Amino acid sequence: MIHHRPIVKTFIFSILLSSLVSMGNTGYAQDATKGKTLFQTNCASCHSPVKQVLGPALKGVTERVPDKKLLHDWIKNNSKVLQSGNPYFTALYAQFNKAAMNTFPNLSDADIDDILKYVETYQAPTATPGEGTPTQKEEGDNTLLYGILTLILAIIMMVLLQVNSSLKKLSDDKEGIPAHEPIPFYRNKVYITFVILILFILGGYWVVQGAIGLGRTKNYQPVQPIFYSHKVHAGINQISCLYCHTNAWESKHATVPSLNVCMNCHAAINDYTKGPKLYREDGSEVNGTDEIQKLYSYTGYDPKTQRYSNAASAKPVEWVKIHSLPDHVYFNHSQHIRAGKVQCQTCHGPIQEMDEVKQFADLSMGWCINCHRTTKVNFGDSTGNGNKFYSIYEKFHKDLKTGKMDSVTVENIGGTECQKCHY
Amino acid sequence: MKKISILSFLVAAVVLMASCDGVRRKPGRVYMPDMAYSRAYETYSVTEEVKAELLKKGIHFSNAPVAGTIKRGELFPFLLKKDADGDSTNYAASRLVKNPLTSMDTVEAARLYLVNCAICHGAKMDGNGPLYKGGDGPFPSKPAQLVGDARYEAMPEGQMFYSATYGKNKMGSYASQLNTEQRWMVIGYIKSRQGAGKTTAASANAPVPVKNADSTAAKK
Repeated sequence: MIHHRPIVKTFIFSILLSSLVSMGNTGYAQDATKGKTLFQTNCASCHSPVKQVLGPALKGVTERVPDKKLLHDWIKNNSKVLQSGNPYFTALYAQFNKAAMNTFPNLSDADIDDILKYVETYQAPTATPGEGTPTQKEEGDNTLLYGILTLILAIIMMVLLQVNSSLKKLSDDKEGIPAHEPIPFYRNKVYITFVILILFILGGYWVVQGAIGLGRTKNYQPVQPIFYSHKVHAGINQISCLYCHTNAWESKHATVPSLNVCMNCHAAINDYTKGPKLYREDGSEVNGTDEIQKLYSYTGYDPKTQRYSNAASAKPVEWVKIHSLPDHVYFNHSQHIRAGKVQCQTCHGPIQEMDEVKQFADLSMGWCINCHRTTKVNFGDSTGNGNKFYSIYEKFHKDLKTGKMDSVTVENIGGTECQKCHY
Repeated sequence: MKKISILSFLVAAVVLMASCDGVRRKPGRVYMPDMAYSRAYETYSVTEEVKAELLKKGIHFSNAPVAGTIKRGELFPFLLKKDADGDSTNYAASRLVKNPLTSMDTVEAARLYLVNCAICHGAKMDGNGPLYKGGDGPFPSKPAQLVGDARYEAMPEGQMFYSATYGKNKMGSYASQLNTEQRWMVIGYIKSRQGAGKTTAASANAPVPVKNADSTAAKK
């Protein structure tokens, strides 16, 4: 029996130890989650654990301010500490442009400890490298395969034809039929006609396609001065198209936003760490943080001081225009998206999946007309939704039927509007 | 030998034609550049140099309106100027500014909120839009919780308007995206949602104690 004792002992000891460890864990987890909630409700609008926002990054604050009581006093009522003339906090106050921190008299010492524990143990989420592989097209090489196959078949056909004629000649010789002088295939009139015909068809097709394609820029995907990914902004972060292209709702142009619109978010978001990796079309990787720095160089913003201190060097970004309509075409964005309720993606393609924007439609007249032929107009329904622009025609129609009007003049349908002629 | 060279030429041609499906970095040629690329001066089509040239000829366009101009039908402008750094005089003064709109298109106001504000403040106004996502999104600081936080429930309309116009803390100015009326519409919408939240919370809590009080009263 005695030799069993140590095993039992170690067993009990290990159970005790493991329970102790797990208890410690749960206790810590509670503190951290409680701290997180408290941090989110009280601190997060001005502080981040690892980033300077309105106030300093908080991670490491217990090392910077080793005096626990002082730190608690500061968090509860910072103006009192400032009045006492503490050199560290006075310097900090000056560094942040004398923007006073809110006071938190309701936080207990235990609450503050929980918050500090959360802040000190905070780990920034890292990018997931598994997501977002280079968007290289693996298929699309079928054309080459078909071309080679066609070529091989054509060669086999030629060889077989040659064999056939040789065999025929041999059998003719054997049967004593006098053979003609053999004609080489490049002087055979049938072959020549055939080749000319094929060349004519191919050449004609190529010329016509080239002529139609002149001035059309489908799939145009220029390199932009800043690698602005619509996938990250409109796709992953779900920013509405109209947030930046505000004027698409109001006017003819969708308009490229001015840089202050970018800075609405990027004054705070100064690095790219949380999204998938970005790749250019050629497969090279893009450093998102560097691209945001480019924006700062255009706006003259200094992310360290969070001020537009280099405003003199600010300049507009010269984006490359992709969708271009010739001068003789009038296109109005607001008419399509507001009155017609057309989605942006109908014409611009899956823009929320594009890292680099590519022209989706060929913007040809045939393409416009096709959509206008098939799209049904949503006239106003009983609930008042829909396009009431044409309701006047409905009224004329009724009036004609009931005999209230005997005819509709050009003026009735807007013929004397100045803009019908003078525009 | 001749045949081999012809064959290799054909193979090369096929390979060349098949390899033409790369990324299109150039727009290509056009019939008439004058027509394809507008010579008319439209918004955003003019560089600063061209603008300076035109100004020399006395041609003014795409300039800001003269200071103090009020567009027909536009609301009276917000007269408080933006505070300097570290100053909050005008922010404090904006408490007294009232919403000039007496009625508004709620559907449009909701749309404006969803497009411009919900990205940070959340469609439910809980301060947890897709850009913050409880701290997992890219935005580092928590946006204001417009519904459910006493500080913002009690915030006067004028102060909200000041923040939307000039920006506050990490929020930027929305004066370039929303005009004066639209900003007031959004604030009216936020205020209506705040009020709605409060009344439903109150009405959800209210009936139970009232009923109890009645029944106890009846018993007595």
